[in-house]
Amino acid sequence: MVDYILMFSSIVAAATFFLLPTLGEIYAERSGILNLGIEGMIIASAAFSYAIAYSTQNLWIGVLSGMLLGGVLSGIHAIISITFTRTQVVSGIGLTILGTGLSGILGRGVIGKAIDTLENVHIPFLSDIPFIGEIFFDHPILVYFSYIMVPICWFILYKTRIGILIRSVGENPEAAYNQGVNVNLLRFACVIFGGMMSGLGGAYLSLGYLNFWSEGMTQGRGWIVIALVVVALWNPLGAFLGSYIFGTFDVMKYYFQQFLPTPVLKMAPHVSTILFLAIWGIILSRQKVKSIVGAPTSLAVPFEKS
Amino acid sequence: MKKSTYSRIFLIFGILMLLVAFSGCTGPEAVKVKAGFIYVGPIGDYGWTNAHDVGRVYVDEKYSWLGTEYIETVGEDIASVKEAADTLITVKGCNVIFTTSFGFMDGTIAAAAEHPDTLFFHCSGYKRAANVGTYFADLYQMYYLNGMMAGYLSNTTKAGYVGAFPIPEVIRHINAFTLGMKAANNDSTVEVTWINSWYDPTAATSAANSLIGKGVDMLAFTEDSPAVMQAAEEEDDVYAFSHYSPMQSYAPESTISGQLAHWDIMYDEILSKVYDGTYNSTNLSDVDYLWFLKEGAVELGGNFDVPINPLFVPELQSITVGATNAYDYIMDKHDKMAAETFFPFTGPIYAQNGTLMFAAGVQATIPDLFTYMDWFVDGVIGTPG
Repeated sequence: MVDYILMFSSIVAAATFFLLPTLGEIYAERSGILNLGIEGMIIASAAFSYAIAYSTQNLWIGVLSGMLLGGVLSGIHAIISITFTRTQVVSGIGLTILGTGLSGILGRGVIGKAIDTLENVHIPFLSDIPFIGEIFFDHPILVYFSYIMVPICWFILYKTRIGILIRSVGENPEAAYNQGVNVNLLRFACVIFGGMMSGLGGAYLSLGYLNFWSEGMTQGRGWIVIALVVVALWNPLGAFLGSYIFGTFDVMKYYFQQFLPTPVLKMAPHVSTILFLAIWGIILSRQKVKSIVGAPTSLAVPFEKS
Repeated sequence: MKKSTYSRIFLIFGILMLLVAFSGCTGPEAVKVKAGFIYVGPIGDYGWTNAHDVGRVYVDEKYSWLGTEYIETVGEDIASVKEAADTLITVKGCNVIFTTSFGFMDGTIAAAAEHPDTLFFHCSGYKRAANVGTYFADLYQMYYLNGMMAGYLSNTTKAGYVGAFPIPEVIRHINAFTLGMKAANNDSTVEVTWINSWYDPTAATSAANSLIGKGVDMLAFTEDSPAVMQAAEEEDDVYAFSHYSPMQSYAPESTISGQLAHWDIMYDEILSKVYDGTYNSTNLSDVDYLWFLKEGAVELGGNFDVPINPLFVPELQSITVGATNAYDYIMDKHDKMAAETFFPFTGPIYAQNGTLMFAAGVQATIPDLFTYMDWFVDGVIGTPG
């Protein structure tokens, strides 16, 4: 009786919101910078991109503005944590508070104002595949962009010189610095890329997924991204898997309400995060495994040139 | 320290003194009543808090003798309410305080005890005192009319309801919607999905999609955002009823109607009576407003002055109901509810399990509806808890 196409399609829509910022945050953390400001960047960009799209009546200017704001906000974090080598945790949380406040100001003018938002784009051949096509290829373009970004992010990180440099900067910045790598520049680039991906996630939320702006509409979901990076083991392919698992929890809890009490279903994403962390914790406690798939060794450690 | 430093400090000190001295004189002397509003959410939620703020702005602009202040996103614990009330009274100089969430009830009573000269009005609660009155505007009549439209227009005879919390208010609205839908088409069912939050657009979207996935083509909800409307607009042949604020512009082709609240009329009434001295800080213990369609506190529609989206009027008019058509029949029920000659909760009303809750001709009382309603009527799919 259940329309499975619609069910899986809403999982894709929900997962994309997690996937875009997670890909960006993976790069930031791989370079050694922990950015806890994801929630702030997402919500500020969601407000900003909707407001700009409303005032210019151009959705793509809105989306780009959201990306830009994400980049600018993460730039603040980069300056504090890289240039001035201050505590990343405090700066990141500060960024979340700033972004949340900023979103209220940026979005005040467009509360209750509707616009036509991003339309579902039909891709020849792909969208026509029965079942699969209807599930994965009946979405706004930003969803397709997230599909493409997963292999690209993975390829750059693991198969190119720049990817090796990013990872080495996150593992051992001193060694990289001594090899002549511009540690700060790389970290800046990664953090700002992370911010732009968060901004894109915010734009997707207000212009592609929920299609309106109202204050506090993320309800703290941006924080899940921080956990997802760990669940993904700092790997873009893992981010894809993790985002879809979380998206599934987000959607499925409403299908099983007749059989399980709501509070139990509401706990599912959070309990599964803890479970993942525990399992990873046990696996990663072996030094050999950790050196291959674990957290970047210098994550959240400020780098000061000696 | 150099002499110039001293003189500079004196200068700054002097300017500050002047500022303090003059600040008291700058306010318009005409303001006799200053109302402070304590909100549970941000005024940008486009639901409950937004609707109250629209009411605040209305009275603020209407009366020159009135000034208003507000604090948004206040916690529902007693300490937070007291702190917000203290700030509004002692810092902002308010002499009337409105607390606009059920969860503020105990905090309001506690704050009122500390400020016996200030008038307090608490929205949706039942505890009163010499200086605490209560007020509420309820939408259940609108839900009944929305349910009737759903019953006439549904192709699947299945409606879905995204509910916030299983409390009497939401259960009453679900029941009213179901009674209306079954009055129009007795085969109708209303499936309920709870999101356990007053405000969570992502959750509401997922919940609405899950209901659409189960085959409903009509959606009603209690959540403070247009998320459910958007979910309906995304799908073909799925329609929805806007809640609390005018949301028709978000889903112009999928909004049939909805429920709108008019806190402006309520605040106008209360503040006018504070101004003319009818209410003071000693006589509020019997002041309990419970307003409906009759008083104009609620309105039918997804947009102000649009009771039913014109897109759906011809179809309703083409459905024959007895000697009249569905459109006229619904509007007749609307007018009878406004005149209080028709009450939706009139027996026979059966609960989900078949128990007769109200015998034929028996009307549910206000406590039945507002305090004891923790059961679903026949036709609802889901559990009230």
